[in-house]
Amino acid sequence: MEKPLTRNMLPGRGPFSLAEYEKAGGYQALRKALTTMSPSEVTETVQQSNLRGRGGAGFYTGRKWSFVPMGEDAPQPKYLVVNADEMEPGTFKDRFLLEGDPHQMIEGIIISAYAIQASVAYIFLRANYDVAYRGLQVALAEAQAKGYLGENILGSGFGLTLLLHESAGRYICGEETALLNALEGKRAIPRSKPPFPPVVGLWGKPTIANNVETLCNVPHIIFHGAEWFRSLSRSADGGTKIYGASGKVRRPGAWELPLGVTIREILEEHAGGMRDGVSFRAVLPGGASTDLLTADHLDVPMDFNAVQEAGSRLGTGTMVVVDDRTCIVGLVHNLIRFFAQESCGWCTPCREGLPWLTDILAAIEKGRGEPGDIEILRQHTHLLGPGNTFCALAPGAVEPLQSALKYFEEDFERHIREQRCPWK
Amino acid sequence: MPQLTIDDHPIEVPTGTKVIAAAEQLGIMIPRFCYHAALGSVGACRLCAVMFLDGPVKGLQMSCMVDAQDGMVVSTTDAKAVDFRRQVIEWLMLHHPHDCPVCDEGGHCLLQDHTVSSGHAIRRYRGAKRTHRDQYLGPLLQHEMNRCIQCYRCSRYYQDFAGARDLSVMQIGNKVYFGRDRDGTLQSPFAGNLADICPTGVFTDKPSRYMGRRWDYERSPAVCIHCSLGCNIVVSARYREVVRLEARFNPHINGYFMCDRGRHGYTYTSAAGRPRQAIFEGQPADVDATLQHAAERLTSIARMHGLAAVACIGSLRSSVEAQGALVRLCNAQGWPAPAFFDDDERLAAVQTAVAQQHAQVHVSLRAVENADAVIVAGCDPIAEAPMLALALRQAQRRGATIVVIDPRPIELPLAFQHIPLAADQLAACLDDLITRVGTVAHDPGALETGSPADPLAAAADLLVRSRRPVIVCGTDLPNVAAIRQAGKLARVLRENRDSGLFHVLPGANAYSAALLNRGRSMAQVAADIAQGAVKALLVVETDPFHHLPNRKRLTDALARLELLVTLDYLDGPHTRKAHVFLPSTTIFESGGTFINQEGRVQKTAGALQGGTALRLVSNTHPPRLYGQGIPGNQPMPAWLMLSALSGESAFGSSADILQWLAREVPGFENLKAAQPPTGEDLLLDSAGRSEIGRHCLDVTSESPLNPPNSGGGLHLLSTERTFGSEELSCRSPQLIELESTPQARLAPSEARRLALKDGDRIALAAENGFYETTLKVADNMAEGTLAVGRHCHPDWPWDGRHARIADRSIKKIDQRETKINP
Ligand SMILES: Cc1cc2nc3c(=O)[nH]c(=O)nc-3n(C[C@H](O)[C@H](O)[C@H](O)COP(=O)(O)O)c2cc1C
Ligand code: SF4
Ligand code: SF4
Ligand code: SF4
Ligand code: FES
Repeated sequence: MEKPLTRNMLPGRGPFSLAEYEKAGGYQALRKALTTMSPSEVTETVQQSNLRGRGGAGFYTGRKWSFVPMGEDAPQPKYLVVNADEMEPGTFKDRFLLEGDPHQMIEGIIISAYAIQASVAYIFLRANYDVAYRGLQVALAEAQAKGYLGENILGSGFGLTLLLHESAGRYICGEETALLNALEGKRAIPRSKPPFPPVVGLWGKPTIANNVETLCNVPHIIFHGAEWFRSLSRSADGGTKIYGASGKVRRPGAWELPLGVTIREILEEHAGGMRDGVSFRAVLPGGASTDLLTADHLDVPMDFNAVQEAGSRLGTGTMVVVDDRTCIVGLVHNLIRFFAQESCGWCTPCREGLPWLTDILAAIEKGRGEPGDIEILRQHTHLLGPGNTFCALAPGAVEPLQSALKYFEEDFERHIREQRCPWK
Repeated sequence: MPQLTIDDHPIEVPTGTKVIAAAEQLGIMIPRFCYHAALGSVGACRLCAVMFLDGPVKGLQMSCMVDAQDGMVVSTTDAKAVDFRRQVIEWLMLHHPHDCPVCDEGGHCLLQDHTVSSGHAIRRYRGAKRTHRDQYLGPLLQHEMNRCIQCYRCSRYYQDFAGARDLSVMQIGNKVYFGRDRDGTLQSPFAGNLADICPTGVFTDKPSRYMGRRWDYERSPAVCIHCSLGCNIVVSARYREVVRLEARFNPHINGYFMCDRGRHGYTYTSAAGRPRQAIFEGQPADVDATLQHAAERLTSIARMHGLAAVACIGSLRSSVEAQGALVRLCNAQGWPAPAFFDDDERLAAVQTAVAQQHAQVHVSLRAVENADAVIVAGCDPIAEAPMLALALRQAQRRGATIVVIDPRPIELPLAFQHIPLAADQLAACLDDLITRVGTVAHDPGALETGSPADPLAAAADLLVRSRRPVIVCGTDLPNVAAIRQAGKLARVLRENRDSGLFHVLPGANAYSAALLNRGRSMAQVAADIAQGAVKALLVVETDPFHHLPNRKRLTDALARLELLVTLDYLDGPHTRKAHVFLPSTTIFESGGTFINQEGRVQKTAGALQGGTALRLVSNTHPPRLYGQGIPGNQPMPAWLMLSALSGESAFGSSADILQWLAREVPGFENLKAAQPPTGEDLLLDSAGRSEIGRHCLDVTSESPLNPPNSGGGLHLLSTERTFGSEELSCRSPQLIELESTPQARLAPSEARRLALKDGDRIALAAENGFYETTLKVADNMAEGTLAVGRHCHPDWPWDGRHARIADRSIKKIDQRETKINP
C-alpha cells in the first residue's frame, strides 16, 4: 500500500531536512512542474486526479483553481493561502503533516502557486502549533536559501514569496473568508459569497485557500501523474487520506490509508478496536461538526459521497468514537459549548442560538431539563441550518445535535424524565 | 432593469437593487436591523428573511443580500419566513432587558416595533441575562450596552462611514461589545449620529435624556444654520424648549447624517440668559412702543446728521426674510445699504465665490461624494463645514483621490494628500494647475515631463485623468484672486469632463447676504462710527463683537454712538450696550428661508411656539404655571419688526419679501417660482449674467494673483474650529466640553528658526496689545504661516482676521523655572 504523504515520516525522529527531503526525491515534482509544465497543465493534472479538498468541504481542488483569472489582464498580485488553522475538535491530521514533513507542504505550495500564478503565499497557522511553527521556520529558511522560494525559481522566471503567519487563535479563522479578513488585520468574520475568493480574495485579489493536506498531495500528483493518484484510492475521489481516531479506542492516532476504507477497518484494524470494558455506540466521522453515525454505519466507506449518503460528512476524516459509557447529551453539550464560544458573533442565529442550546443542554445534563426543551433543540437544528446563518459554522455546529436527536432521543428524554444524568 | 413580483405586486427596479430596497419602493417595509441604506447590506441580523417562491433564487433568503432579478417571485408573508423572523426576534430578546419604560429609546425604537410586529411574546429562555458594563462616552451620548442587538450599525457607521477609530467591536460570540477601549469622550465630530443610527437604546442622545417620549415632542422639519451647508434636520421640542435635533434625510445635502456642531448647537434658543424683553431708555417696554420709539429716534438722527449717519448691520444667520426686510428698510429710509460681512476681504471673497457659481458648474454635497477627484483649496472642511469632510470621505471610499491645498495642518477622517502652501500662494498655485491642465488636455504627453515628486504635477495629472472632478474652495483664507482661479479651474475642466465647483461660505445665509450686500463691511461701519460719521447703528441678529476681532476698538467706537438699536435673540455685549433692544425669534420659532452655499433655497416653518422654556419658570413636575399669557413671549420675527420700522412700505407677509426680492434684487429671480411643498428644492442661479454677478466681478477684478509680500515675518491666520468659533454653537454647554484649547500652529522649520518648541507659551505682540497662546509645532503645514484657532470671544489685538507679524513680535513667555537644589 503506497503512502506518499507519510513516507518521509520515520518513527522516533524529527522531520527531514532539506537535504534529506531532496535525497528522498523531494522537489523533483517542483522541478518537473516549473521546467516542463505550463500553469494550466498543472491545474489540468490536478483536476484529472480527482483531488478533493481535505479542509472539510471536499471541493474539487483543480476545479477551484480553474476559477482564478489567468493571463496578462488578471488582477495582480494573486495569492495562495494555506489553511493550517486546524481547530476542529478531534482533528489533528494537519499537525501530523506539518510537524512530520514541512518540505512536502512547501513543495506543494510552490507548485500550486505556480499553477494559479500567485506571487505571494501565506501559511495561516493555528496559534498553538508551536512545534510546527519552528519546523516550518527552519524549512522555509532552507528552501529560501536553496532558491526554491524567492525570485526566478529554478530559472523558470516564476517567483514566490512565502510568509508564515501565526493565528491569534480562534476557530472561525479556519473559515476561509474569515481567515482572509484576519490576514488583512481585520476582525475574523466571514465574508459574504459571492464573490468567491478565487475571484475576489485577499485584499480584493484572486486568492486560493487550500487545506494543508490538500496541498501536500500536489507534489505527488505532479510527479506520478493523475492516473496514479486516482489508483491510490478505493473510491472515485483520488488519493490517500490521513484518517484519525480518538475516543476510547485502544490505539488513538492518525494513519494514511486509501480513500474509501470503511469506518470498521479504521476502527478495528488501525485503532485496535474499543478499549476493554466499553463498547462502540456512535462515531463522529469527520470531526466535531459532522453528524453522528451508529453501529449500522460501520461498513460505510470513508469517502465524500458515501459518508454523505449515510447522513453525515467526511469532513476532516478524523473520527471521534463514542462509547457506551459516554453520555451523548454530555458529548453534544461539550461540542455545542465549544461552537457557541467560537461563534464570531456576526449573525444572530449562531451568536444567540448556540449559547441558548448550550444552556438547555447544560440544564438537561444537570437534571433540570424541561419537557419542551427537546422541541427547542430540534427546532434549532433546522433554524441554524445552511442558508439561515451567515457562514457554515452554525450549520456544522448543530450537526452532532441533530443526529443525536435522531438516533438517541431516548437519552435526552431519560435525562428529563429522571431529572438526572443516567450516565453519572 | 429586472422585473419581479413581491407580495403579488409587480415592480421594476434598477439592476443592483436589493430585494429589501425593491420592496421598500412598493411601500413594503421588510423588517431589518443591520441593513441601512447608507451603510449597505451585510446579512448579519437575519431579520429580513423572506421566501423566494420562484425565479433564479429559491427558498428562505435574506432580502438585503439578494439582488433583484428578473422573474423573482417573493413573499414577505410566507409562513416560514414570518416564523423565522419571529425566531430572530426571540433570539435578540433572549438577553434584552425588559425595561422599555426606563429606556430613552422607547417610543422610537426599531426593536420595540419589530418585536411587537413579529409576534414574539412568550419567553422560553430560562437562563440569566448577559450584562455588560457601560462606558462614559462624553457629553453627547449615553451608552447602555445591555440593550445591544449586535446589528453592527454603530461600528460600521463610525469606522467605515465616518472614518473614526475610537469606537469598535470587541470580543466574539455573544460577548461582542461595541464601545471604546476605555471610557472617554468619542473623538469623532460626527459621533452624535450614533444616536440616530443605533436601532435600540444603546446610544442615546445624552442632553435630551429623559426629556420626553417621541410622541410628547412637537416635531418638525428644519435646516441647520451652524454652517453654510444647510443640512436638514428634525427638531423635537417640548414645554417651549428645543430638546433634541436629529438628521433628516436630504439626498442632495447631508444624506442621513449631520455633524455634532449642528446637532448640539441649538441651546441658545432656550437659554436662560436669552433676552426676551423689549427695552428702551433702560426700561422694559412692549414691542410696538419700542418699535415706534426706535423709528422716531432713527429718523430724527437722520434728519439731524443726514441719512448717512444711520448705519445697519445685517446677519449671515438671519433668514432671507430678515435680510430682505433690512435691505428694504434701508432703501425706504434712504439710509446706506446694510453691511452683512465682517470685513472687506470677506465681503469680496464671498461675492466672488457667489459670482463664480452658475447652474452648470456649482454642485451639491452629493456630487462631492460622487466625485472621482477633489481639490480642496483654502478650506478646512472639518472646521468650516463639517459634513463636507464626511462627503469627502465617501468620495475617497469610492475611489476618489482628495488633494487639500491649504497652509493649515489639516486633519480629515480619510486618506488625502496635503499640499501645505501659504495662503497668499494659493492663487498662483491654482493658476499653475490651470495652465498644466490646459496644456495636458491637448497634449497627454505633457505631464510626463513633470517630476512625480512634484505634488502639483500629480494633482494636475489627477485632474486630467478624472471624469468627475470637484474643486472645493473656501472663503475664509483664500483671497479673491484664489477664489477666481478656483472657479476658472472648474470651468477649464468643464470643457472635457463633468466638473463641479463647491464653495464653503461663512454662514448659513451668506449666499443671499452676498447678493444683498451693496455697501460696506462691518469693519468699515465700525471705522465710520469711530470717525464720527455714523451716529446711529441698527444691528440685526449679529454680534459685532463676535465678528470684529478687535473688541477694544469696537467698544470705543460704539461708545461714540448716539443710538444703538439691536434686534436679536442672543445675549451679548451688542444687546447689553443697546439703547433700544428688540427681541427677535429664532429659526425654531419662526422658521424662515435659508439659502445654502450652493444656492439651494430651503424654507422651514417654526417648530415651537415662543416663550420662556417651562423648565425656567416652573420647577414642579409636571411643569405648571398659572397666569395670563405666555412668559417670555415677546420676541417677534426680525422681518416683522424691520418691516414695521419701515412704516407704510411694510411687508404684509414673509412671502411678500421673497416676491419683492425676486422682483427687485438681481440673483433672486428664481424665488418667483411657486415652490412645491415637497420634492425638488429651488436653486438660485446668480450666474455671471445677472447684475449682481457683474457687480461682484467688478469688485474683485483688480486683485493681483500674488499680493506683495508685506515684508518678512509670519502670516498670522485666525482659523475656524469645528467647535468654539461659530457664533451660535459656541454657546452650547455640551459643545464647550468638546472644545479643544486653541493653539498657535507653526511648521517645525519656523519653530527652529524662532528657537521655539512644541508646548511653549508665546505672546504675540500687536500695535496695542498682546495675544497669548500655546505653540503647537505641526509638521504638515506651510512655512511662513502661524495659524491660531479662532475663539468665539477673542481678545485679538489686530484689526483683521489675518495679519502679518514680525519675528520679533513673537516672544516666548518664560515659565518660572523651578530650581532643584542638589
Ligand atoms: C467554521 C469553519 C471552520 C473551518 N476551519 C477550517 C480549518 O481549520 N482548516 C481548513 O483547512 N479548513 C477549514 N474550514 C474550511 C475552509 O473554509 C475551506 O473550505 C478550506 O480551507 C478549503 O480548503 P480545501 O479546499 O483544500 O479543503 C472551515 C470552515 C468553517 C465553516
Ligand atoms: S454562523 Fe454567523 S455568527 Fe456563526 S461564525 Fe458564522 S458568521 Fe459568525
Ligand atoms: S450598539 Fe446599537 S448600533 Fe451598535 S450593534 Fe448594538 S444595537 Fe446595533
Ligand atoms: S455640516 Fe454645517 S449645516 Fe451640516 S449639521 Fe454641521 S453645522 Fe449644520
Ligand atoms: S437586514 Fe438583512 S440580514 Fe440584517
